[in-house]
Amino acid sequence: MVMRNRAAWLPWALPAIVLVMVFFVAPFLLNVRFAFSSWTSFRAEITWNGLENVRTLIDQDLLANAVTVTVLYAILCMAIQNTVSLSLALALQRTSGINTVFRSAFFLPTLISPLAAGYIWRGLLAPEGAVNSFLGIEWAWLGEPSTALVVVAFIDAWKWSGLITLVYIAGLNSIPKSLLESATVDGAGPWTRFRRVVFPLLAPALTFNVAVTLVGALSAYDVIAATTGGGPGDHTRALNVVMRQQWGQGFFGSASALGFTVTLLVIATAVPLVWWLRRREVTG
Amino acid sequence: MRAPSRLLGAAIGAVLALSLSGCGSSAPEGTGQVKLTLWHNSADPAPLLEMYKKFEKQSGHKIELVSIPSDGFEDTTQTKWATGDRPDILEYHATASGLLALNPAENLRDLTGEAYIARSGDLYQSAGSVNGKVYAAITGFPQVFGLYYNKKVFTAAGLTPPTNFAELAATCPKLKAAGVTPVFESGGSIWPVQILPILYLAGANQSNAYGKAIAGHSSTLADAGSPFVAGLTAYAKLQADGCFNKDIVTAKFEDSMKALVTGKAAMVAQHSDMLPALLAAAGDDQKTVDESVGFVGLSSDKPLVTYAPGPIGTFYLPKTGDAAREKAALDFVRFMTGPAYAEYITASKTFPVFKDVPDPQGVSSVLQDVKKAYDTGAVIAFNSDIPGMGGLAQLMSELIAGQKDPQKAATQLQGQVEQAAKAAGLPGW
Repeated sequence: MVMRNRAAWLPWALPAIVLVMVFFVAPFLLNVRFAFSSWTSFRAEITWNGLENVRTLIDQDLLANAVTVTVLYAILCMAIQNTVSLSLALALQRTSGINTVFRSAFFLPTLISPLAAGYIWRGLLAPEGAVNSFLGIEWAWLGEPSTALVVVAFIDAWKWSGLITLVYIAGLNSIPKSLLESATVDGAGPWTRFRRVVFPLLAPALTFNVAVTLVGALSAYDVIAATTGGGPGDHTRALNVVMRQQWGQGFFGSASALGFTVTLLVIATAVPLVWWLRRREVTG
Repeated sequence: MRAPSRLLGAAIGAVLALSLSGCGSSAPEGTGQVKLTLWHNSADPAPLLEMYKKFEKQSGHKIELVSIPSDGFEDTTQTKWATGDRPDILEYHATASGLLALNPAENLRDLTGEAYIARSGDLYQSAGSVNGKVYAAITGFPQVFGLYYNKKVFTAAGLTPPTNFAELAATCPKLKAAGVTPVFESGGSIWPVQILPILYLAGANQSNAYGKAIAGHSSTLADAGSPFVAGLTAYAKLQADGCFNKDIVTAKFEDSMKALVTGKAAMVAQHSDMLPALLAAAGDDQKTVDESVGFVGLSSDKPLVTYAPGPIGTFYLPKTGDAAREKAALDFVRFMTGPAYAEYITASKTFPVFKDVPDPQGVSSVLQDVKKAYDTGAVIAFNSDIPGMGGLAQLMSELIAGQKDPQKAATQLQGQVEQAAKAAGLPGW
């Protein structure tokens, strides 16, 4: 029975499988060797050098900080985006004229280039920018080590929350009304309905959104580059920012090693996370 | 079956035709004229762009300009270069460190023996050459690094601009008392914050002695009491003494130019190719710039300017394997360094690098200050010949944020130099 099902689904999955193989798996397999090579712009020969690139990155105090910043940033982005988006989805779930206007307004930043979004916010958050003028304070939001990473994560959330909200709205609308009505008849208040009925049944949307926001933030570059460039100091210097800097200096092997680290990080966090969330969908 | 086969054949034919036309920087048939690709810096001034057009007109060749943004110029050029893509003409840095990163022996044509080299004095002993072979055609006057200052601010405070770091440290509190930011630093743009430490090191780098010692591995940046550590320490002290703007971490380069012109800040450490940006900050009013801005040399202990050959007007000829295009590219270099060069100098109002070309008339007073300071005492930037120094600006960001002390920053940068020097196969590593 299982075999027959698989055989029936294969033709439908084939285009996706081919695309993933051609554009992701094959380039990855073809390029992964560069992470363990002496590839630089200084000479033509590329030789195998084992873990030398990783050792160099550790010796230069670059790798540990970049991994820490990347993981922290990813957790912040995932938490902020999902909290904000779920709240927005609950507020805008009902389809009405005014809600459609708000949905569109919150979706608009998704259409803006991440670099443009970064530049806009950098201007707004400058010490003499509009945000400080409005609040009547003087604070370098992107220049203070204590706030820079969190603020950049908020900018990323502002950029993508509209999309995540739509997925949550779709999830909310797929919950049968009869279940909610039964819960109400049984005396469940709004909070109990949300906790015991809505949230468990939102599991597929939650799986998708948590995975997408986490994986997206693990490979962050554009918003960080446009707002802080990795600063102040190295407080927002994520793996891809360091990769770009290594590449710019002609150290292509080290840059590839950093790219490989991002891939490992995505696999190590996303795969168990998705597995656990999917399991929750079955049992929840 | 036949129709799809024919369709497939037509599609393959079309793709082939398109591919071949994509390679079409070769000659239009029978004319001997070719299309040359030139990767150039987006900051090329109008008179230089005009020279490209003049070459097209005179030679009949076409130049396809591929503009590389000046912000992130090195990174973007390296990225394109790493893909194996090669232009016929490349505009890029003339420093040995920049040149080594292009792997010149493998990728660039040897221009040793071209007539312009003998007319350039000893320029190619410190720029555009590696292992005795000249690869560059330098037509732009070197970038001259020093201290721009607001003349009105200094006059009002009854002060003279500092020419060494002790004077700079002593001037700071007086300017602060006058309600002016003494030195404006642009950490938000990252690269400008490395200029002051480089200026400091001019004192120790007469005849490029310090740069050669680091590149040759007879000294390291992190040696106890090294000039480099001393430069970073002097910078950290200026920061601790409050000599810099409060928004040093976020301020952009353009902010520094505006602060200087308006007198909000008294000084900015910058180089001479930034004069157009200074003019833009003054609303394109040359008179305002001339009246308010001056330029002096500064080092650890004496009035010296630091110079480095810049990318603007420095051309390389990558090996492309196409004889017609390679010949035309060489014609381009000969044109740019030939009789037309004098017209370029007149139009651009910059100083010539060839001894037989006279200085232009009507040069702005700031540029005259730059030339005067350069003629009085100029030292090549200590990092010009050292590969792997690209990480200096990032380390300065960490120094400013208090994450690194000077000694630790020097040790880390030395590691990067070692990584690059070994990769480049420099003698002594």
